[in-house]
Amino acid sequence: MSNNSSQPSFAENRRQFLRHNSLGIGGLALAWMLNQNEATAKTKLLPKNRQSFDLAPKTPPKPATAKAMISLFQHGGPSHMDLTDPKPELTKFNGTEYQGEVGYSFVNEASKTLMGSPWKFQKHGQCGTEISELLPHTSTIVDDICLIRSMHTGANGHEVSIRYFHGGIPGVLGRPHMASWLLYALGCETQNLPAYMVLTDPGGPPVDSTNNWSSGFMPALYQGTVLRPKEPRILNLNAPAHLQGIPQQQNLAFLNSINQRHAEQFSNNSELQARIASYELAAKMQIAATDALDINQESKYTHEMYGLDRDETREYGTRCLIARRLVERGVRFVQLFLNGQPWDNHSNIGTGLPSICKKTDQPSAALVKDLKQRGMLDEVIVHWGGEIGRLPVTQNQGAPEKHGRDHNGQGFSIWLAGGGIRPGMIHGATDEFGHKAVDNIVTPNDYQATLMHLFGIDINDLIFLHNGQEQVLSAGRSANVVEPILA
Amino acid sequence: MPLHKNIQSFDSIHSVTVRAVILFSLIVHIICPILADEPLSFEKDIRPIFRAHCFDCHGATDELEGGLDLRLVRFIAKGGDSGPAIEIDDPNASLLIDRIASGEMPPGDSRVSEQELATLRTWIEQGAKTLREEPETIESGLGITPEERDFWAYKPVESLSDQELREKVSDEITTNLLDKQFILETVEQILERKDQVPSEQASNQYLREELIRSGLDQLIAKEASRDTLIRRAYADLIGMPPSYQEMEGWRNMQDADWYSRMLDELLASPHYGERWGRHWLDVAGYSDSEGYTNNDTIRPWAWKYRDWVIHALNRDQPFDQFITEQLAGDELMGPLEGDLTTEQIELLTATGFLRMAADGTGSGANTPEARNQVIADTLKIVGTSLLGLSIQCAQCHDHRYDPIPQQDYYAIRAIFEPAMNWQKWKAPNERRQSLYTQANREAAAMVEQEAQVIAKQKQEELDRYMADALTKELERQPEDQRAALQAAYQTPAGERNPEQVDLLKRYPSVNITPGNLYQYIPESKTKLEEFDKRINEVRSKKPEEQFVRALTESSEAPPETKLFHRGDYQQPKQTVLPHALQITCPEDNLTTFEAVNEKIPSTGRRLGFAKWITSPEHPLFSRVIANRIWLHHFGLGIVTTPADFGKLGSRPSHPKLLDWVANEFRRNNWSLKNLHRTIMQSRLYRQIRGVPVDPALVNEATDLSAAAKVLLRDYRYSFSELIRLDAEAVRDSILKVSGTLDDSIGGKPINIKEDETGSVVVDGPSGRRSLYIQSRRTKPVSILQTFDAPVMETNCEIRVNSTVATQSLLMLNGEFVLNQAAALANRVADEAKPIPAENLQSTPNVPEPKKSHWSYGFGQFDQTTNRIKNFQPLNHWTGNQWQAGQALPDADNGWVLLNRNGGHPDSPARSVIRRWRSPVSGTAKIEGTLSHGSPNGDGVRGRIVSDRHGLLGSWEIKEGGTATPVKQVMVEAGDSIDFVTESMESNTSDSFNWIVTIKINEGASSQLTAKSDRDFSGPEDSVDLIPGQIQRAWEIVYQRSPSHEELNQSMQFIGDQIRIANASSTFDSETSTVRQCVTNLCQMLLSSNEFLYVE
Repeated sequence: MSNNSSQPSFAENRRQFLRHNSLGIGGLALAWMLNQNEATAKTKLLPKNRQSFDLAPKTPPKPATAKAMISLFQHGGPSHMDLTDPKPELTKFNGTEYQGEVGYSFVNEASKTLMGSPWKFQKHGQCGTEISELLPHTSTIVDDICLIRSMHTGANGHEVSIRYFHGGIPGVLGRPHMASWLLYALGCETQNLPAYMVLTDPGGPPVDSTNNWSSGFMPALYQGTVLRPKEPRILNLNAPAHLQGIPQQQNLAFLNSINQRHAEQFSNNSELQARIASYELAAKMQIAATDALDINQESKYTHEMYGLDRDETREYGTRCLIARRLVERGVRFVQLFLNGQPWDNHSNIGTGLPSICKKTDQPSAALVKDLKQRGMLDEVIVHWGGEIGRLPVTQNQGAPEKHGRDHNGQGFSIWLAGGGIRPGMIHGATDEFGHKAVDNIVTPNDYQATLMHLFGIDINDLIFLHNGQEQVLSAGRSANVVEPILA
Repeated sequence: MPLHKNIQSFDSIHSVTVRAVILFSLIVHIICPILADEPLSFEKDIRPIFRAHCFDCHGATDELEGGLDLRLVRFIAKGGDSGPAIEIDDPNASLLIDRIASGEMPPGDSRVSEQELATLRTWIEQGAKTLREEPETIESGLGITPEERDFWAYKPVESLSDQELREKVSDEITTNLLDKQFILETVEQILERKDQVPSEQASNQYLREELIRSGLDQLIAKEASRDTLIRRAYADLIGMPPSYQEMEGWRNMQDADWYSRMLDELLASPHYGERWGRHWLDVAGYSDSEGYTNNDTIRPWAWKYRDWVIHALNRDQPFDQFITEQLAGDELMGPLEGDLTTEQIELLTATGFLRMAADGTGSGANTPEARNQVIADTLKIVGTSLLGLSIQCAQCHDHRYDPIPQQDYYAIRAIFEPAMNWQKWKAPNERRQSLYTQANREAAAMVEQEAQVIAKQKQEELDRYMADALTKELERQPEDQRAALQAAYQTPAGERNPEQVDLLKRYPSVNITPGNLYQYIPESKTKLEEFDKRINEVRSKKPEEQFVRALTESSEAPPETKLFHRGDYQQPKQTVLPHALQITCPEDNLTTFEAVNEKIPSTGRRLGFAKWITSPEHPLFSRVIANRIWLHHFGLGIVTTPADFGKLGSRPSHPKLLDWVANEFRRNNWSLKNLHRTIMQSRLYRQIRGVPVDPALVNEATDLSAAAKVLLRDYRYSFSELIRLDAEAVRDSILKVSGTLDDSIGGKPINIKEDETGSVVVDGPSGRRSLYIQSRRTKPVSILQTFDAPVMETNCEIRVNSTVATQSLLMLNGEFVLNQAAALANRVADEAKPIPAENLQSTPNVPEPKKSHWSYGFGQFDQTTNRIKNFQPLNHWTGNQWQAGQALPDADNGWVLLNRNGGHPDSPARSVIRRWRSPVSGTAKIEGTLSHGSPNGDGVRGRIVSDRHGLLGSWEIKEGGTATPVKQVMVEAGDSIDFVTESMESNTSDSFNWIVTIKINEGASSQLTAKSDRDFSGPEDSVDLIPGQIQRAWEIVYQRSPSHEELNQSMQFIGDQIRIANASSTFDSETSTVRQCVTNLCQMLLSSNEFLYVE
C-alpha cells in the first residue's frame, strides 16, 4: 500500500488508509468518514465548510477563460467626462446652471454651473471609441478593451465605494477582497510566490490604506502580500540587506546541518523532515521573487514601451511591468495602487488631471499591448478604473483656473481587457451631462459577478462559512454577470 | 501487514481525525458489522442510518412526511401514504431502497452512502430483524435506545481500586498506579488481538501471565535522559525552557527525589498558571474583542477573567470549584450590600467564562439573530469544554449521531436563559459590573460638574462660529436673496415651507452644519477641539472606573424557555424546563434543576447544573477534563477528539486508564497540580517517546514465547515522538533565551498595531508573554497566527499543527526574530567565558575580520596648520554609539559622542571626528548632508580635513541641512579624511546628523565606496572570544554544551562568514563583523528543530 517514496496527496492517503483499514474501524464511523471524503472529492460547488485552507491550485467548477488578473486601481475618481465619456451637451451648456439635483461632498464650494470638458475627444481604432486627448496611449488600445461607461455605486464617498468594489458591500470593513475569494476558490498556480500581490506607490499608501488588501474574515493566507515600492519589495520574503546572498545561504546550510544531525536521533521523523523542507521552500521563494522582480531581464524595447526611459512614467511603468512578470509566473491576482488619491481633482483640474494621466496612461496601455504580444491577454484580465467619477458641475475655488469637480458615484467609467472580455466595445452610457448612469447600469457587484464568471465561478456558489453563517462575495446583494461584455 | 507500519507512514499528517482513526483502528478493533456472521439488526445497524438521514421527517416529530414513521420496523413494514416501505422478498423493490438509491431521499444535499445503502439492503434480505420484540406503541420523539445507552462515554466512570491494581500487576514491574493501570489494559488489548497471530496454542491465561511476569517492563520504553525530562517538564508546566543555570542545577542534583522536587518547583511557579491558563482560555474562547460584526469592538475588561483563570490555577483551586465559579459565581456571592467585597469581585469575574462568546449586540447588531447566536455560541462552549459533546448539533433537530434530543438542547438552554434572556437583552456595556465604590462615585460626580462648565463654553463658542459663518456666506449671495435665505436656514429643517426648501437647494453652500463648519472657518476646528481636549483632561481626573465582564441574572421572573422549531426563534414551540442531558442520567432518574431556588436571589439553575456535572455520577465531565490534561502532557488525548466524546469522536485508546485518571483527579480533591504530579511521575510519561518496543530487546528475551514476541514487537503507544512548541511557547521561549522577557504576571493586554504591510505586530518592544498580547478576532498577531494560534470564532477545542514555508520565512527574515537574535548575541557576548586554548586544538581557523576603515574620536581643528591636533579615540561603546565614558556628560570630556548618523560635539577643543583611512590610492569624491535639527542653541560647524591636503571644506548650519560636497581630492593609500564637527559659541542642543559617502575612482574598474552610516559599527570583538561565545550560545538556547563536532562546525560557519564579509565591500551590518556572525549563528539556533520541538 502506501509507499514512502512516492507521496500521495493527503486526500489520497486518507482514502487509501480508510479503505485498507476498514476492518479496524466501527462500521458507522467508517461509513461516515468515507462519505465525507467522497463528498469533498465529488463536490461540484466550491469549498463549503472546509476546515483547512491552502493555496494548492484547484480546478474551477465551470470552464474558465481567465487565469489571472491585474487591477490598475485609480484612486480618487477619474473624471470620466474629461477622459472616456465625451459629452457634447455638457460642452454646449458650459457655464449655465444645471437643472437637476446634485449631491455634493464639499457644500461650501458647491455650484450648479455646468463645466464642459476643456479637452478634445476623437474616435480611435476600428471600433471608433472616442477617447480624450489626455489619454493618447489608451487611445491606441481601444480595440483591445471594453469600456464600461455606466458604472454606478450610488455613493459619493471614496472609502464607501472602494470597499464596495473590493469587499462587496458599500462602506463595510472587514470583508475579504475579491482576490481573497479567488484564492480561496482556486488557489494559485505557483507555490514559489505569494498568490495575491499588491504593488503600492512610493509616494505613500493609498486612501483606506491596508484595508484595501485585507482578507477580512478569511484566513490570513488569503490576504494580499504587499510588494513594497522600493527594495526590499517584499518583507520577510527577502533577507535583510546584510544577510542577502551568500551569508543567508551559509545560514541555511548551517541550519540544515544542525537540523539533519538532530533528525538522526529520531529515525527521520517526517515532521522534522517537513520542517527542514520548509526552509528549502522559503529559500526557493526568495529566489523566485527576486527573479520576478528583476526587470533588467527585459529588453530595451519593453522598457521603452512601459515608459521606463522617462521620469514621469518610470515608476508606474516599472510596477506595470513587474505585474506582468508576476502573472507570467503564476501569481493569481496583482493590484496596483496610487499614493493617496491623485484622481480626486476637486481643484485645479486643468493641471492636476493631465499630470496624473501622464504618469499612468502609457504604462497602462503598454501592459495591455505587452500581454497581447505575448499571447497572455487571452487568460489575463486587466482592469483600469477608480471607485467613482466626477460631477459635471464646477467645484468653485475662486479663479477659473482653480476650478475642479466634486465626487460622483452616480455614473462613471472603467475599462476591462483580456481573459474573456469582449474587446473593442463600449458598454452602457451616462446621461447627456455625464451625471448619472442611465443605460445598462453596472454595479460593483455586477462587476464582481462578471469577473468571477470569467474565472469559472458562479459568485453565489462560492461560500465561506464565517461565524456559522454562509458568506458570499456579494453578500446576497443582486450580482449579475454582464453578458454583453463577454467575448 | 503489521499495523504500526501504517502509523509511521502517517506521522506527517496532523489531522486530528486521521489520528483518531489510526489510534482507534489500532486499539479498539471492532469488526465491521456487515462482515460479521451475526445478522444485522434494526437497533444496532439501521437506526443510526435513519437517525443521520431520515428521522427529521419520519419519526422525530409528530408531523410525519408522507405518513411514514421509521422508528419501528412494524411501522416501516406498514409504510406511509405510498405503501409498505420494505419488501422482504424483494429488497430491491422496497420503496425505502428505491427512494434512497434514486437520490430522491433524503431531500437536500446530504446523501446516504453506498455502504449505508448496502447495509440497508442486507438487513432487508436477512429479514429485517430486530433484537427485541417491538412495543405496540411508543411515545413521541426518538427516545434513547439501550444500544445508545451502551456507548462507552455514557457509562458510569469506573476504575479498579488501588488494591486490585496491586494484585494484578506486581510491584516488581512498577510501583506507580498509573503505570499499573496502563500495563494491565495494554496487556488486555494485546490479548484481544492475539487471534491475529499464530498463538502456538498458548492459552490466554498463560500468555497474560507470561507478559506480565517477564517481558512487560519493556512494553514501556526506557526512561528518557535527564536533560529531556527537564526540558519536557519545563515546556509542559511553564511553556518556556529552563535557563542553563536551572538546567545545570537539576542535571547535577544528586538527590534521588530531584525529579519530584523539580515538579514541585515548577508547579509553584507563577508561570504555571500562565501556561495552563492559556490551555483553558482556548476552550473558553477567550478574546479581547467582541467579533460578530465587522467592527470587532474591543472588550476592554475581558483580561480580568484571563487573570482570574491564571490565579485560580496558580493557587490550585479545586477544579470542581474552578468550574462552579465560572458557571455560577454570581449565584454564590450572596446579597449585594454596599461596595462589592474582594470575594464577590472574584466570583463575578469568574463568570466571564459565560461571556466569552462572540457578541455583536453592543456593536451594531442588537438583533434577535445576534442575541440568539450569543446564546448558541455560549452553549457550544459549555458543551465542548465541559461535556465533550457537540450539543449545538441538537439546536435545530435531534442530534444526528448522538442520543441528544432537541428537547435536551433547550433544557440546557433553560439553565442559562435567566441570565441570557434574548427578549430582554442587555448589550455588553449595559451588563458589565462596575467596581466603583460609593466614594469613587462621589469623587467622579464632582469632576463631571467641572467638565460640564467647559462643555457649556464650547457650545457658546460653536454658536458664535455658526453665526459668523452664516453672515459671511450670506454676503457672498445675491443681496435680494439674503433675508429669505437666512430665514430659510434658521427655520428648523422639518418646518420649512416648499419655497424655503427650494431656495436652500439653489444655494447649497448656505447649508452650514457643525459637521462642515470647518470648510467655512478652518480655524474653528482646532478651537473647538481645544475645548474637547480640556473636557477630556478634566474627566481624566475621575478615579478610573474598572469593570468586570460578568454574567448575572435579573431579579425578574425567569423567562420561559421555548423549543424553537428548526432552531428558528420565530417558531417557538413548547416550554422546556431545565434538566440534564437525558443520556447522562440513569434511564429512570432524570436530573432536573429547580426552576427557581428560593434561597438565593437568582434562579439557582446554573449552580444546580455545576453541582450535577461535578458530581461523581456524571459520566462525562471528569473524563473530559482528565482527557484534556492528558492531551496537553502527551500531545495526544486518550480520546483524540477532546471536544467530542460522541459517536463521531474517537474512542479512547485506553478507556480504563481514562477512567482511572478521572477518578484519581476527583479523589485528590480535584487538585490539578496533583494530577500533573501523578501523570508526570509515571514511567509512561517519563519514557523515551514514539519509540516502538525495541525488537532486539524482545528477541533477546528468551523466556518469551514466539507469540508473545510478535505481540510485543507490534506494540507502540501512539503518542507523539516530538511536540512542536505551540505559538505562544515559540515566542515566549525566544524572549526568554534572548534575555528580553518581561515575566510580570497579568494586567491589561499589550497593544497591537498593523505595520505598513498590514501584518499585525506588538506595538512597541514589549517582552511580555504572548498570552498578554491583545487577542482580537479580526486582527490575529502575525507571529502567533503563523504558528497556529487560534483565531477565535467561537472557541478552540484543539489546535492544529502546521509546517509551512511562511513560518520559515518568518524565522529567517522576520523583524522580531532578527531583533531577538541580535539581543541573544549581545547576551552571549556578555556572558561568554574564554575556552582554554588546549581545548581548542584541531578547531577550524577563524580569520581576523577586515579592519574598519573608520575610526571615531575627538580633537581640535588647528586653524594655523589647517590640520587636526590631539586626536583621541572615543573608547566607550554603548551598543549603538561611541562616547568618551560610560555616562554623559563624561567627567573629563563632556558631551562628545558619535552614532550611526551623526553625533554631538563638546567645546571646540573637543570637536567630534569621524575618521576614514583610505585603503587605496585614487581620486575621491565626497557627498553628504550635514544637518542640525534643534531650534535652540547656535548650531554647529562641519569641516572636512585631509591629512595630506588640509581643509577641504567648511559649513555652518543651524536648524536645517546643507550639502557638504567635495568634488575631487587625490588620496594615497593610508591617507586619512576627517569629518570634524565643532560647536559654535555654545554647545547646547548641538546634536547633528552627517551621513557621508566617499567614492574612490568612480566609474573606474577599481572603484570603492565607503558610507559613514552603512559602515558604522562598534568595536570589533576579538576572534579569540568566538569559541566561548559558541559554547555560551549553545548553553543558553539548548541548555547543553555543543559537542566537539558542533563546535567545529560552528567555528567553520563563523570563519566562512567572516571570509565573505572580508571579501565584500558592502558588508552592511548593524554591528561589528564578529557580532553579526554570532547573531546569525544565534538566529539559526532559534530556528532549529532542537529549539522548536520538545521530545
